[in-house]
Amino acid sequence: MAKVKGAIVVDIETCKGCGVCVPACPTDVIALANEVNGKGYQYAYMLNPDACTGCTNCSIVCPDGVITVYRVRTNS
Amino acid sequence: MGELRLMKGNEALAEAIIRAGTDGYFGYPITPQSEVIEYLTAAKPHETTGMVVLQAESEVASINMLYGGGGTGKKVVTSSSSPGISLMQEGISYIAGAEIPILIINVVRGGPGLGDIQPAQSDYFQSTKGGGHGDYRLIVLAPSSVQEMSDFVLTGYDLAFKYRMPSMILSDGAIGQMMEKVELFDAIPRLSDEEVKTLYPWATNGKPKGGERRVLTSLDLDPSKLEQHNYDLQAKYRLIEENEVRFEEIQCEDADYVLVAYGSSARISQKSIQLLREKGIKVGLLRPITLWPFPTKQIDALVKQGVKGFLSVEMSAGQMVEDVRLAVNGRVKVDHYGRLGGIIHSPEEVAEALELKIIGE
Repeated sequence: MAKVKGAIVVDIETCKGCGVCVPACPTDVIALANEVNGKGYQYAYMLNPDACTGCTNCSIVCPDGVITVYRVRTNS
Repeated sequence: MGELRLMKGNEALAEAIIRAGTDGYFGYPITPQSEVIEYLTAAKPHETTGMVVLQAESEVASINMLYGGGGTGKKVVTSSSSPGISLMQEGISYIAGAEIPILIINVVRGGPGLGDIQPAQSDYFQSTKGGGHGDYRLIVLAPSSVQEMSDFVLTGYDLAFKYRMPSMILSDGAIGQMMEKVELFDAIPRLSDEEVKTLYPWATNGKPKGGERRVLTSLDLDPSKLEQHNYDLQAKYRLIEENEVRFEEIQCEDADYVLVAYGSSARISQKSIQLLREKGIKVGLLRPITLWPFPTKQIDALVKQGVKGFLSVEMSAGQMVEDVRLAVNGRVKVDHYGRLGGIIHSPEEVAEALELKIIGE
């Protein structure tokens, strides 16, 4: 059966660490990093990359449009 | 209708600075305010309106550039966040003493010290009760939306020039970073040198032929003269307290209890009112727009109207609550609720605090 696997790419320097994406993710993929970006914000990153379904909820809610979602169809 | 745009609070500030006919911006980047200077340097207003945008070597330098620029009757502005504003205090006190109109923008972050870069409202004391030395005041405007971030640039300039004193926009990291729809006002052209000379007879832009030598200073070694200068300043402040108080009331007409909150806390409190009203508790919101002059008379009127208690909601350990207490003067219960250090309270927490601390027993 074809399965959809997703991945997000965060534009780290534009992320302001507001955390709106964290509860928006239905599979708890996203968390805020312990490291900070150039401005000093803890940016969003994939804590559980394997759980991402590519639903794009995070990129829809992101107020600054820093998240890009990629979707790959895999046969397994 | 003006131009509509989706912007960050800081970007709206920067765009409004250009459109307000500003002559000079002097600042130094600091999170969560850096987008102001980023936007200004990218927009290159020096090529369109002729406005100067300069990154000074420090906050101390930028406030003194404002002293010079404002002294010549030009519209000058600086922006910073809490630690940077602390550095500017000496200059602000000098400018207040010399009666020079300037605009200062503070996008507050958590403190004390370097603190963090999350939103806070802990600079209320510093902004409204001095900060620098001497008996002086600042007109303090508190925006609670990106729209107001843009509009208050004009208001701030107007009040500063009307009363010849520094005015401040006291925002916070949340409003600065928040993205919202803004209706931008139409651009106002910069004043020409001739217009400045006719409009501002106090400005130090050269000794007019046959006229008096103009001096703008905060130094007066003769105590009797300095006393008189202070009396004049105080008379001006009383006039402002009389005429320039601005506030917004939400559902206060039938309220038994009132939340007092400004800036982003006011937006959170609006949701709390809704939650409490669903429970059948009649709650209103008083949002001071000018933190100085404080809407003391309005709070007095609310007490007389029969309000049984006030909760001051701020992202601080309780600063504005002191002004609420002074206005209430012991007649009804007043308390404070707020999270500290960059944590933003939730509407539920505020509602719970009102029930616990004010309605209580």
